[in-house]
Amino acid sequence: MTDGRPQPALTLDRVNKIYRPKGKPPVRAVVELSLAMNRGEIVALLGSSGCGKTSTLRMIAGFEPVTAGSIRLAGRDIHQLPPARRHVAMAFEGYSLYPPLTVRDNIAFALKAKRLARDEVARRVQEVAHLLDIEDVLERYPSSISGGQQQRASLGRALIREADLHLLDEPMGQLEPQLRALLRGRIKHFIKERGLTVILVTHDQTEANALADRIAVMENGVLQQFAEPASLRQRPANLFTGTFIGEPPMNVLEADVAVTERELRFHLADGVTLGYPHTAFEQAACAALLRRGRVVLGIRPHAVRLAPTGAPARVEVNQWLGDQSHVAATFAGSMLVTVEHRRVPMAPGDVIGVAFAPEDLHVFDIDSGAAIVHGRRAA
Amino acid sequence: MMTGPGIELVDVTKRFKGQTVLDGVSLAVPQGETVALFGPSGAGKTVLLRLIAGVIEPDAGQVRLGGRDMAAVPPEDRGVGMAFQNFALFPHRSAFENIASPLEARRHSAGAMRAGVETVARMLKIDHVLGHAPRALSNGQKQRTALARALAGRPKILLLDDPLCNVDAKLRFEMRLELPRLLAEEQAATLYVTQDYREAMALGDRIAILDRGRLVQIGTPADIYFAPATIQVARLFGDPTINLLDVIPETDGRRPFARLSDTRAPLDTGLVHAVGRPCVLGLRPEALRFVAAGTAGAVPVTVEAETPLNEKTVTLAVTKRGREILVSRPSGTPGPVDGPAHVGIDASHAVLFDRSSGDRIVPKADADAHKRGAAA
Amino acid sequence: MEHESRLERWLRGIALALVVTFFMFPIVWIVLMSFQTNETILRMPPSLLFTPTLSNYEALITGRLVSNAGVLEIEFMSNLMNSAILSVGSVTIALLLGVPAAYAFARHQFRGSEDIAFTLLSFRFAPPLLVLLPLTLYFQELGLADTYVGLIWVYQLICLPLILWIVRGYFEDISPDVEYAYRISGHSWWATFRDIALPLARPGIAAAGLLAFIFAWNNFIFALVLASADKQPVTVGALAFVTASGIQYGQIAAAIVLSIAPTLALALYAQRYLVEGLSLGAVKG
Repeated sequence: MTDGRPQPALTLDRVNKIYRPKGKPPVRAVVELSLAMNRGEIVALLGSSGCGKTSTLRMIAGFEPVTAGSIRLAGRDIHQLPPARRHVAMAFEGYSLYPPLTVRDNIAFALKAKRLARDEVARRVQEVAHLLDIEDVLERYPSSISGGQQQRASLGRALIREADLHLLDEPMGQLEPQLRALLRGRIKHFIKERGLTVILVTHDQTEANALADRIAVMENGVLQQFAEPASLRQRPANLFTGTFIGEPPMNVLEADVAVTERELRFHLADGVTLGYPHTAFEQAACAALLRRGRVVLGIRPHAVRLAPTGAPARVEVNQWLGDQSHVAATFAGSMLVTVEHRRVPMAPGDVIGVAFAPEDLHVFDIDSGAAIVHGRRAA
Repeated sequence: MMTGPGIELVDVTKRFKGQTVLDGVSLAVPQGETVALFGPSGAGKTVLLRLIAGVIEPDAGQVRLGGRDMAAVPPEDRGVGMAFQNFALFPHRSAFENIASPLEARRHSAGAMRAGVETVARMLKIDHVLGHAPRALSNGQKQRTALARALAGRPKILLLDDPLCNVDAKLRFEMRLELPRLLAEEQAATLYVTQDYREAMALGDRIAILDRGRLVQIGTPADIYFAPATIQVARLFGDPTINLLDVIPETDGRRPFARLSDTRAPLDTGLVHAVGRPCVLGLRPEALRFVAAGTAGAVPVTVEAETPLNEKTVTLAVTKRGREILVSRPSGTPGPVDGPAHVGIDASHAVLFDRSSGDRIVPKADADAHKRGAAA
Repeated sequence: MEHESRLERWLRGIALALVVTFFMFPIVWIVLMSFQTNETILRMPPSLLFTPTLSNYEALITGRLVSNAGVLEIEFMSNLMNSAILSVGSVTIALLLGVPAAYAFARHQFRGSEDIAFTLLSFRFAPPLLVLLPLTLYFQELGLADTYVGLIWVYQLICLPLILWIVRGYFEDISPDVEYAYRISGHSWWATFRDIALPLARPGIAAAGLLAFIFAWNNFIFALVLASADKQPVTVGALAFVTASGIQYGQIAAAIVLSIAPTLALALYAQRYLVEGLSLGAVKG
């Protein structure tokens, strides 16, 4: 790519979007969103429906005016420009192919406008069609191909364009899981090879994890955390990211923190107590815990350990999925899920012992949800 | 626990505009059993459910419910409960009225109706939104309302058409854990359509795999996972996907083996009859492990890349002839990051397919396969 | 898109004002005319200043028009009654026949269904005069000429295709799954039609019914040929104001105001209905 130093490509500075529907209270779709991404970077906007990710995308593309704040792309302020002058390519969730053109002409559309040589256009279209496995439908019309093929054609039309920024809105939502898994790798390779700068909007964290260099997690219009996939999982900034990222979702348990001479204790519901030696947590972490009193404990299903000497839990279901087993058990008044990378012989009604190592614990503030402790360290 | 005939399909065929959508499908789901109907989109899963519900008619074959031929029985008299993929709630009626519709059809008294609806609504935790119109419900609540409506009439036949596909990942997971208890309580003959192999494995007592209108395989989750009938089935189950390597089995006189990286990877002794035939060897990524050099049957490879996949570490390794193999292991367990390494293959977990037909080659004297299934 | 300057906003406002004036002017003028005498109407140049008079309405309602040529008997009120009977009658029958037919066309592919639907629509293409002559002969033979029944029958040529095609579209927009769900719950096809399809297509049925009513109300040629004086609707009856002694503009204006009042009122009432129907939305899940 370049000399290695990241160059800013897109900067959102305190961007807000407020919708004012007639006769209804205004809706704050995006709140004070600031975010900077580098050239050649793939960033995923991840969140459930209505979190503000699509509004953000539409503001960057220019289909939606910015209520307040600014957007800079490749050194230019673009938030006042009409969409056509922003140098942004977009793949729409709803395909939006031109019905009177064949798939080939749809994909080649933007290139033809640029007056490229005919065989150069054909070569690039062929390349993208091969990438997306739609070579066999290039001569067909959009109405005669499946939804999945239309979506791939629409994605191809966006990827083939030369632009400062490529926006992909749920680009693989209509595809079958196997195909999706195959294309993820290919698309990432294609993007990286050409050094494209890409924003991907998705609600599917597997997709975000597989494609993105960094992920921006959004909820209720607010950016919750912007970080690399691994650090999102290891150091979630708050309870929302903690429970949103990771499959199956993180187990959460409310607890009172107490300290005795020998131990730091978490008192859970139903009289269950988890005790750790003071040395289990670093001093700053200990102090932060004791300041709170009541907290939320988070533990990932994969990190729950089965130990005969552990605290008792009653098995409710045991589901074997081929490569792993998901066991849900009643523990301290709530449901605790554990994942084992093998087939485990547990039946509903069995009592098992569970244990949580201090390095696997996440602790959150019970009011604000902000992370207090990750593993042994203060957040 | 499994008693009485539930759903019986005999040679059911359905064509639309000259295209065969279902081709001679025969399937029996007894009372109390849940069969997961799995297949790619366009396989005919939804059509099959609609044939059973009676909203479309088969061109040939028989649909029997509770032992009775349904040929002339309209949908309203079949005693079926069905949940739709798109929920299909009545938009002009409240959640309560939606759920009550099967009871209303049977002219239950207002009191009995209220009691019936409230029982099932409490079970599905939607009793607090019964007065809402469908458009005022969240996606998850809509899905639960649709499910409640299917259950409210306490049907003996339950048809669930991918009811979780339109809800978010977290809720889908929670419902997957809750559903078995719910289904066990109903004791109906349940057909559960899904495109998610994990859901099929978790919820089905048995799994039926439909592909292009034909039933490819019916079996327990272990049957499907360890002894897939075709390459296609093997690919559909498992994440990351099964490794598929072209091989021609050889034999040293004592047992058959496949040549990988000039090393002899032993095969099941029952596979002698496959020797010399062009085959495809299927190896599950999680059944492979890195072993020390010099271990018997260890295949030398070069480790190329490592990617995390949902609490697993997936390693891409390349054999001497440039063939790619994925090896997966739980995150946090040690493994080589790059350079040369050796992969150990467990013969009992390798599956062999005929390369031209794509069908699995069944080991002769499959006795130890049963032992394997029980142990796994 | 909100990329617009103050100038753009102004220009848009002016354009909208022009359009509104263009469409509203005739109606306003007619209303003004209906409160004037023929003399003030014909005054040159026209003026907005006049002493309003109710004489036009009075003449219409009493049925006696006193002009300088003498007293003229007019049957406007009975014409209005005829219009009401014919329009309400034909729309009611068209709804009773057309809505179930539309449902059948929307939900069932039977042999020749498209052909039948298209044939019904094609009645709208044919010039009315083409069918009128043979119809007149038939009707005289059958004793239907100059009867309400006969006229209402002929009006089906206008109303039925309209209702059929509009309502069919609305039925097609309802997800079949919603209806399947109701049937599987244990309800007959008739109950499903009554409880699910009809309520969900209600906005469409209201729109189609309203349009059919307006078309029936405004029809001229069928009534002109097939009805004698006592069965004539207002459209034909208005001809009576063109008398030997001159054209009674004031009365014509008043007659127009009275005759568009019902359709206007209906449209305003139904508008609320239509908007509510469109925002119901959730039909497709």
